[in-house]
Amino acid sequence: MLKLLHTADWQIGKLYGQFEPDDAALLAEARFAAVERLAQLASVQGVHMVLVAGDVFDAQGVAERTIHRLFNCLRGYAGPWVMIPGNHDAALSESVWTRAARLGAIPPNVMVCLAPGVVQFDALRVAVLAAPLTQRITHSDLTSVFAATDTPAGFHRIGLAHGSVQGILADGIDSSNPIAAGRAAEARLDYLALGDWHGCRQVDARTWYSGTPETDRFRANDSGRALIVEIAAPGAEPVVTPVVTGQYRWFNERATLQVASDIDVLLERLAAFDRADVVQLMLDGETDLAGHARLRDALAQTQGRVRSLTADLSALRIAPTEDDIDALAADGYLGDVIDELRTLQGSGDGEAETARDALVLLAGLLRDRRGTNGAAS
Amino acid sequence: MKLTRIRIEQFRQFRQPLQIAGLDPGLNLFTGPNEAGKSTVVAAIRAAFFERHRSGSVDDLRPWGDASASPTVELDFETGGVAYRLSKSFLVRKRCTLISGAQQFDGADAEDRLADLLGFRHAGRGASAAEHWGIPGLLWIQQGTAHDIRDPVAHATDHLRTALNTSLGEVASSGGDAVTDEVEALRNELLTPANATPRGPYKDAIETEAGLAAEIAALDADIAAYRNKVDRLAALRREHEADDAQKPWLALRAQEQAARRKFDEARALGARLGDAQQRARRIDDTLALLHSQLERHGAEQNEVEQRRAALTAAEDRLVAAQATAQQWQRRSSDAAARHDAARQALNRTRQRDTRATLARQLDELTRRRDAARATLAQADTEAGRLRSARQQMAATELRSADLATLRAQQQDIRTLRLRQEAAATRVRFTLDDGRVIRIGEESLTGQGERLLTDATAVTLPGLGRLDITPGGADLADLGRQEAALRDRHAALLARLGVGSLDAAEARLHIYMQHQADAQTAEAALKARAPQGLDALRGELAMLEGRLAEAEQSLSRLIGEPDDDAALPSINEAESQEEAARASAADAAKQLAAADIAAANAQSAVDAARRELRNAQAMLDAPERAARLAAAQRALNEALAGRAAAAADIDALTAQCRDVRPDILEQDIRRFGGSAEQLERTASLRRDELTRLEVELQAAGAQGLDERRAERARDHARAVRRATELRHRAAALDHLLTSLKSHRSALTRRLQAPLQKHLDRYLQLLFPHANLDIDDQLVPGALKRTGAAGAEGGRFEEFSFGAREQMGVISRLAYADLLREAGRPTLIILDDALVHSDDERLARMKRVLFDAATRHQILLFTCHPENWRDMGVAARSLEALKAV
Repeated sequence: MLKLLHTADWQIGKLYGQFEPDDAALLAEARFAAVERLAQLASVQGVHMVLVAGDVFDAQGVAERTIHRLFNCLRGYAGPWVMIPGNHDAALSESVWTRAARLGAIPPNVMVCLAPGVVQFDALRVAVLAAPLTQRITHSDLTSVFAATDTPAGFHRIGLAHGSVQGILADGIDSSNPIAAGRAAEARLDYLALGDWHGCRQVDARTWYSGTPETDRFRANDSGRALIVEIAAPGAEPVVTPVVTGQYRWFNERATLQVASDIDVLLERLAAFDRADVVQLMLDGETDLAGHARLRDALAQTQGRVRSLTADLSALRIAPTEDDIDALAADGYLGDVIDELRTLQGSGDGEAETARDALVLLAGLLRDRRGTNGAAS
Repeated sequence: MKLTRIRIEQFRQFRQPLQIAGLDPGLNLFTGPNEAGKSTVVAAIRAAFFERHRSGSVDDLRPWGDASASPTVELDFETGGVAYRLSKSFLVRKRCTLISGAQQFDGADAEDRLADLLGFRHAGRGASAAEHWGIPGLLWIQQGTAHDIRDPVAHATDHLRTALNTSLGEVASSGGDAVTDEVEALRNELLTPANATPRGPYKDAIETEAGLAAEIAALDADIAAYRNKVDRLAALRREHEADDAQKPWLALRAQEQAARRKFDEARALGARLGDAQQRARRIDDTLALLHSQLERHGAEQNEVEQRRAALTAAEDRLVAAQATAQQWQRRSSDAAARHDAARQALNRTRQRDTRATLARQLDELTRRRDAARATLAQADTEAGRLRSARQQMAATELRSADLATLRAQQQDIRTLRLRQEAAATRVRFTLDDGRVIRIGEESLTGQGERLLTDATAVTLPGLGRLDITPGGADLADLGRQEAALRDRHAALLARLGVGSLDAAEARLHIYMQHQADAQTAEAALKARAPQGLDALRGELAMLEGRLAEAEQSLSRLIGEPDDDAALPSINEAESQEEAARASAADAAKQLAAADIAAANAQSAVDAARRELRNAQAMLDAPERAARLAAAQRALNEALAGRAAAAADIDALTAQCRDVRPDILEQDIRRFGGSAEQLERTASLRRDELTRLEVELQAAGAQGLDERRAERARDHARAVRRATELRHRAAALDHLLTSLKSHRSALTRRLQAPLQKHLDRYLQLLFPHANLDIDDQLVPGALKRTGAAGAEGGRFEEFSFGAREQMGVISRLAYADLLREAGRPTLIILDDALVHSDDERLARMKRVLFDAATRHQILLFTCHPENWRDMGVAARSLEALKAV
């Protein structure tokens, strides 16, 4: 029985600008860690080889140190690694791969397929049909030659490609680097290992996207996995088992605040996140000053707990109640100002947000003053 | 607040107590001229309230020069329905009491109560100053300060605000201003106060963002360049591989070789053509040589014949020349003979002429000799005469000078004689007839007289003698002079050889005659012999010589004088001889020429003969015929060769024209250049490939994409930060604006009561005018309708008089406001409104009268006549002092 580990889209060298520097650094680091875990997984599972279906590097121009680090991460598995370049690290005339080769960074057990062809493992009776990207973007199907590519009889035919399978993914997404649907069957492949789609996804009985081993975006569903592929014999249908490899979970949360209890619900949700979570929160609706203050406190607490929390409150309106104003002791013209700001939030243009900010600021100042005065008295 | 009584003692000019009692609750008018003490009363009231009784800074209150004085003020007043008495003494006896009904406060306690009551503060140290005066400082208008409103209002602001808030109720924000200030401070951390441009951290964030964006742009450019190079590398490699596979230059090189081979063939053809042409040229040269050789043979034949003809001609010329020479020989002999004859004839003719000439000469010479002889004879005679005349001249010669001397001596002697006679003794005698006397030796008879110059003895015969001695003194001297002169005269006469002057005269006459004779003889001699006798004699001798010679010559000419007659004239003979001589000479010359011509002709004949012989010898040379034959043969051969060469040339030229070596040469260049170009391109491409590979390796080592990702990460963060700050700045700005506008609206609402009071007075002063009050409760802009239509301006811009008036009505309005708030109000006007004209003053009086219905007003003036119509009696300070 042939046992493979299928992974892709490592995107080594990717940085996360949308997060605070500390978080971003840890998330970037996590990508190396994921590769180390893959090596470990491959060892533990005792796979015959690891297939990496493209986009190992996030860009051609990564630092030398990054190249060395990546290949060092592979040390945990001494078996063969078969890699193809993807659209991010295409095998151009000068590429991250040629640099890696020049640097002598590529260990002997790593086979990088820089040209279309077959990598044969006689002992394993495996022939890997590789369709590496040699241009940044191609509009032809590089796997179309698979059918005409002969392999020794009795060998497993394993396809390895990077691109988007036509017809199953939303139109317009990665329409370049196309791969025809049904390629595995057409080319008599035992298994077609694909990369490019960051979520783990089965295309047909013999065709899978493994997804990225460490989630790197909020919209990737079922990412942070790798696939253990077991094929009893050439021609047998493969048994594919997804394995979680990701360290961090990414959540894209939305909430609309209408009534006071909505805050409570939201706070419960926030409380559920833990240190391995990367959370993006978008709020709209409206709340009073007290609710806003609670929300703010809760967000601060959550930020201290989770890996990263990004909250977008720009669509949230603040509606101070009489109680709020009393509580702030906003007498005289301050009360008038608060009234005016509250009204302005209703206007459609950018003034609404400014008015909301102003209101929050004023409330904060007044609360601080009250606190100070209260402490003084 | 109402003052009811004022008592002042030992206070500046009031050393004696001054009391003003029964003050009216409304308007009180105090009059008095300058220095009457109006201001002192005001000062006393102010001191009583404002100055600490313990103050050491109030020396100015004591009367001048009175160090022991204790300035004292006592005031009775009522406020809030309570009556108070305040007594205050300064300096020597420091004391302060405030009595209110049964209550009494002393010292500082009393003063602090007073300050609370009236709304002012005491100075911490030293004399009280404007900032302490609060409400009284505003309402008690000191001399000349009515127009100044801003500072007094500032010092009373708290009281006024309290009064306003009280009147309006507690609507103002308790901490609004503090919040506003805080918001403003926070806002100004991010935005400049003036232009709301970013500053501080906001500005830093924007700059950081922009800096990172620029870096990203630069990196993007680098990355794009890098990618272009990668693409270029790929393209180059493809081309390189294609070239490597095809090697297109090889085909071109082969074509080049083929073209070169053809070209070489063409060039060989060209060489052959050149050879043929050269051969033809050589044959042409040979032909020319042979032609000239044959021509030369023909010329030699001709020459012999020419030479022979020349010899014949020369011989003919010789014969002719010899004939001519013989002819001239004959003619020359004839001419010589004729010349001899002519010459003999000429000689004879000449002899004949000589003889005739000599005969004539002989005659002439004979005649001239005879004449010369005669002349000589005559001349000899004359010469003898001249000689004798000169001898006689010499014998009788007397010089005229000697004669003149003689004459002068004679004259002198006579003169001396006369003088002697004059001096002499005159002896006149008349003698009787016959009687003789002798004087001296002289015997005298008759009558006469004598002059005696010397002592003379007169002998009177008979009678004796008389010795007479002339008595003249110099008579003797004269006598001596005369004697001397006579001696010299006698000597001269002797030398001249004459006896007397007369003789001398006569001799001179004779001399003169001789002289004339000599002259005559000399003239005659001269005529005969102008050159003297010797010349004459010489001439004669010469003539005689020539005569002898002529006779001799004649005698030598013997000849035949007989045939002379046949002879021609000498001239004719001479011309005949001349002609004959010329003819002979000519003939001789012609003969010589003819001889020379004959000799020349002979030598020409000799030369011609020699040349003929030579030419003939050459023609007769034995090898000449053989050479001629050979030359003819060679010529035929050469002509045949020339024709063959011309045929070759034509054939080769045609071949060359067909092959076109020039185009072949171009083909070589074209194929060679193309191949080279391709090779070079390939080589350059190899170089570029190497260069690109190196460059890309270097660029790749920079990790551009990763760096860009880092910058993008930082940039995203910077954008977030800048956006946050922009939102915060906008919110703060908005908040501040909102706060300020609300606060301003509130202020306006708060100031409404004050505005109301102000308007009441303003309408009395400027009907239909409008005076704003600013944040500081100070009058601001005034708008009114005057003669010139609507006008307006800030309080500070109006005339002093107008400002003073508005200063007063503002204070009255403050007083109304304070009164409504239950604060004590007392208004003091010290010589106010002195800058107002009559009309304004009239209006201000209505204002003041109106205010006096609500407030007690103390009005001090030095112009009582201006205030007679205030409905109250004026109190004269002087009158008060007099009490």
